[in-house]
Amino acid sequence: MKRAVVIALAAHFGSLRTTLALFALLGAVVLLRPALWPLSLVIGALALNLAAALVVHPALRLKLPLLVSHLALLALVVLVAIGRLTALDGRFELTQGVPFDGTLIDRDAGLLHVDRLQSLVFQHHGFEIDYAPGRKRGATRNGVTWQGDDGQPRSAVIGDHHPLLLQGHRFYTSPNKGFAPLLRWVPERGEPQLGAVHLPSFPAQELQQSRAWLLPDGREAWVMLHIDDKLIDPMAETRFTMPQQFRLVVRIGEQRAELTPGQSLAVSGGSLVFEELRTWMGYRVAYDPSLPWLLAAALLAALALGVHYVQKFSGAARPAPQHLRGARIG
Amino acid sequence: MDETLALRAALGCYVAALGGQRWQRVAAAALAAALALHTLALGLRWQAHGHGPFTTMHEILSSNLWSLALVLAVSAALLRELRAAAVLAAPVLAVLGLWLLLADARPGHFPPTYATPLLYLHTLVGKLFLGLLLVAVALGLVPAARRTGLGRRVFVRAADDARLDELSHRFAAAAFVFETLMLIVGAVWAQDAWGRYWAWDPLESWAFATWLALAATLHARATFRPAPARHGLWLAGVFVIAFLTFFGVPFISTSPHKGAV
Repeated sequence: MKRAVVIALAAHFGSLRTTLALFALLGAVVLLRPALWPLSLVIGALALNLAAALVVHPALRLKLPLLVSHLALLALVVLVAIGRLTALDGRFELTQGVPFDGTLIDRDAGLLHVDRLQSLVFQHHGFEIDYAPGRKRGATRNGVTWQGDDGQPRSAVIGDHHPLLLQGHRFYTSPNKGFAPLLRWVPERGEPQLGAVHLPSFPAQELQQSRAWLLPDGREAWVMLHIDDKLIDPMAETRFTMPQQFRLVVRIGEQRAELTPGQSLAVSGGSLVFEELRTWMGYRVAYDPSLPWLLAAALLAALALGVHYVQKFSGAARPAPQHLRGARIG
Repeated sequence: MDETLALRAALGCYVAALGGQRWQRVAAAALAAALALHTLALGLRWQAHGHGPFTTMHEILSSNLWSLALVLAVSAALLRELRAAAVLAAPVLAVLGLWLLLADARPGHFPPTYATPLLYLHTLVGKLFLGLLLVAVALGLVPAARRTGLGRRVFVRAADDARLDELSHRFAAAAFVFETLMLIVGAVWAQDAWGRYWAWDPLESWAFATWLALAATLHARATFRPAPARHGLWLAGVFVIAFLTFFGVPFISTSPHKGAV
């Protein structure tokens, strides 16, 4: 009796009518609120519906390509779940010539993600970015170096859809990049400290090239980069370049100075030296160990479906046994 | 030859092909001429701007009008039953043609993320999907059209409803496979270009909704075994969603999907 009820429930839940109802629900979720939990619930229900259908509909199991296609879809759901649990998506900014230390500005990691970013050391050595008239961003070429698994130095040029691949992590350049004045705080007592101020993204915020920087003693240094050159001509094809004529306006308390590289501003307690002007680049780091399996499962689903239709429409499919003829699947 | 002149001549030939439906050879010759001229126009534009027709509304309308007409022409050449039904695809081509005349023809910016072979693969399978779905709709709408007096007269020599329904289903199934491939290639491209394979941006959401709608139609046909006229109307509904996805969402949304910054 109990077994009959279970079979009846599975048949009901595994029916194509249930599939259609869940398709409609998924469509509504996708268009109205494609958030994690509603999507997970409906896609999970669809996966259960498919699993039940595979059990209660022998016709679905008899057509091998159709079966493979649906099993690949189930695998896809499982792989997406594994991927979300183990993935990392983060953003960070890196000063030219300074090694990446694993620190992220923001991060979205799965519950089972094991952070290995601190072992993925690389440096960037500046970049070139082409601009079309209208300041439309073209190709980005960002030179990076790192140490290979064999201890040998490695280098590459990354940018746009060519990420840096380190132990399954993909480091992508982003549209965010700009200038980074390198400053040295030399206190009257104690060790000097070196730091870089990442000015707002250039050229997106060309007219707001200023930022406050906290000195080690807690005071605030306000710096602004004044560029005399016309770096990116909005009317012409051009390239992101370092300025040749520039000054760094520094204000600490009531004191103000305009510095060129090598110059310093002396204030009570120490002096601030403008060492040089560098660049910073914004990166996105993505890690998802399920990616190759996801691609394989998705391609398998599509190709098996194609084979199913070719067999079906060319009449090559094995006819279903007499007792299953009423069950049309796909 | 000037690109604009070639495009306008092509549009004129498309109109002649639509108007010459009573004389199928004339219509076929006009359609062939339209496709030849349109290919020339697209080639000239490609040569002039250094990139394919992928960036502006003008380019996307033009390339889709070309690909839909091409898929329709090749299918009609191979499938006798489609020749009478192809007229039902005409409103879609006419809308694209008129819209194309109104669209700004100035060149657009070719984003750096477009410099990949995935662009061509994504576009190819996408165009095959939409073209095959249009053929499915044209075949599938004949039974519904036959329920009107005009439809009975126009499609008097077309195949019977059951045959058209079966053919329509086959083209819809083929379209579904290509749409699935389009989503897969798009996801691979998105992973490379933006570091994520799927983020439910408006275009991705609508593309997935289109896939779901077509999947639902294929499943519903197996479940409910609808009359041919009803099945044709379902497919037309799917095409409306696909049309909105292709020509509506990318141009009204400010999402980053276009790649240009």
